[in-house]
Amino acid sequence: MNNVLKAIVAVAASAAVLYGLQRTTPSYGEITSPIAVTGKLGKRIAANAFVIGVVKVHLARTVTTKSVGRTQTFTSSGVWALVEGAAEARSESLSLMSAQWLGRDGVRYALSQRFSTVPGFLPSQRLEPGLPQPVLMAFEIPEDQVSEGTLLIARTAWTPLEEEVRIELTGVGPDDIRPALVLARSEGAVPWTLKSE
Amino acid sequence: MSAEQRLTLRRRLIAFLVAGIGTAAATAISFAMTVYEAANPKVVPQVAAGQPIDTGRWIIAIHEARVGSIPPTGTRPLTPKKLLMVEFDLDNRSASASNAFLRLFAIDPPVANLPLPTFYLGRDKWIASGLQPNMPERMIAAWEWPSAVPVPQHLRLKVASQIYKHRDNLYGAPGWFDRDPVAIVTLDVAPEAGGTGR
Repeated sequence: MNNVLKAIVAVAASAAVLYGLQRTTPSYGEITSPIAVTGKLGKRIAANAFVIGVVKVHLARTVTTKSVGRTQTFTSSGVWALVEGAAEARSESLSLMSAQWLGRDGVRYALSQRFSTVPGFLPSQRLEPGLPQPVLMAFEIPEDQVSEGTLLIARTAWTPLEEEVRIELTGVGPDDIRPALVLARSEGAVPWTLKSE
Repeated sequence: MSAEQRLTLRRRLIAFLVAGIGTAAATAISFAMTVYEAANPKVVPQVAAGQPIDTGRWIIAIHEARVGSIPPTGTRPLTPKKLLMVEFDLDNRSASASNAFLRLFAIDPPVANLPLPTFYLGRDKWIASGLQPNMPERMIAAWEWPSAVPVPQHLRLKVASQIYKHRDNLYGAPGWFDRDPVAIVTLDVAPEAGGTGR
């Protein structure tokens, strides 16, 4: 009888241990998640492969793009966030294909492809070592996700264990939303100009 | 044969029987369930046009279907084409931007040699790429209809569904996985207006 009791206890105990192990094992997504390099708005952030700094976040309800012979106004059900910055590669030429706006709800908003043809758009900029280049990012986000956002920038969105720059966007809030912005091409060092209308 | 040996043998026989009966029962039940499900397929509910359908990853409301010769971009194609366009509202309920709506609904029964539709964003009248979460948009799917096949008067669309798994069965990775269709939407196809499109 004592033996039977011992066996039952042993089985129950091992079941509990196994359940605990199963619950606490980090998931594959967590094991292979990107390696974060954190930084702040306005600061230069150096990862191993690239350096990036975000200078300014512009928020607007509509954005009008002006290029040769074509003016187009982009509307959104949320707000537009145009992010200006500069980036540079460190040891080899590369492109930063992935940028995401992580809202405070944990929801990720990818780069809006509706602006993919504007000059200086982050994925289309080829970054060379030692040559900082201006980069532009465009996001479409709901109004309640504007404040307390984080910008996630990486070489690709899907490669596991890649380094990912996380930029806390402090000081960006719904008060900064302007009714309209004009994004035009420019011949200067920065290939675009942003004006409030 | 000693008494101890007999006891061991009996124990082994009991263990063998228990395992065998258990396996046989599991096989029989699983086989019977498969046969039963094949004999009684689940009826996919009919949903009226304009009603929102929860597909797990997306909420979609399909509004109307029409035939036209001008794609939603408004530029007339160089060679005349017959386009079947379906307008719908789409909301991304997942936690990240995605373009996985490309196979969200399909014509049922499938039409032979029909290429996949092109998706347009109603707001821009331009080709849609991804859809951001929690930002519903009006979209238009356009099939380039083969000239040899007549356009149906009523279009039956089968809407697929997906579920989120925190750990999938292969890698333990999070992801979205296909499930059974959740709705059938039947639309009247509006003929081309006046031959000039819109």
